[in-house]
Amino acid sequence: MAGTLVPTMVLPLLLLAFIVLRLGMQITFPIERGLVFPMALVPALWGLWNVLWEWSRERTHLPVGLHGAFLPLLMLPAGASIATHAGVLVLAATSVTWFNAITVPYALIALFLAVAMTAYYLVWKYVVGFANRVLGIA
Amino acid sequence: MTGRDQGSEIRDQETEGMKQLLREALPPLGRDREPDRDLWPAMLQRMDEQSSRAAASVPWFDWALAGGLVAFVSIAPRTIPVILYYL
Repeated sequence: MAGTLVPTMVLPLLLLAFIVLRLGMQITFPIERGLVFPMALVPALWGLWNVLWEWSRERTHLPVGLHGAFLPLLMLPAGASIATHAGVLVLAATSVTWFNAITVPYALIALFLAVAMTAYYLVWKYVVGFANRVLGIA
Repeated sequence: MTGRDQGSEIRDQETEGMKQLLREALPPLGRDREPDRDLWPAMLQRMDEQSSRAAASVPWFDWALAGGLVAFVSIAPRTIPVILYYL
């Protein structure tokens, strides 16, 4: 439960953004195709990653923040693969385009990975770690 | 008795059998279905203890990382939907 806390808190924001973009601003791009990853798979992956930390921490002695920082290495390719199949991510010769609007050159993907790992490190250390301690897991 | 009535009777018997099996498989809840005290105040106290401990011990490099993240999002706000996609 502690692992799924953050994605569950982000879900209403995603739904709000979806409603504003789709119904409010009448954007025709099929955003809902991309929602399966953040709504279904991300919470499950976070929960399983937390279970994996709890299961392995006596052997690895890895702090929860560092453990969480490794999750983007798994999620970035998984999310990109699902987004490509759903049509929300287009892979071009020199760049990728998200939601038909955000173009990221391949050279910047490493930077984006570093940013994602940093964000995950902080969120896992302070939010998931806090929830684990409150629930008596850690 | 018609064939339809017989079928209905057999289904009723099967339903009763299933109910009996479920009653046997699930443990009885007993009389005290609720905890004897309110657990929420204890949870609040625990959350307060943990949050005060966490706020006092944030190392400087975590502040630097958080600052770097805020700077990145400020420079490239178009990446916010992509970051939310992965949260």
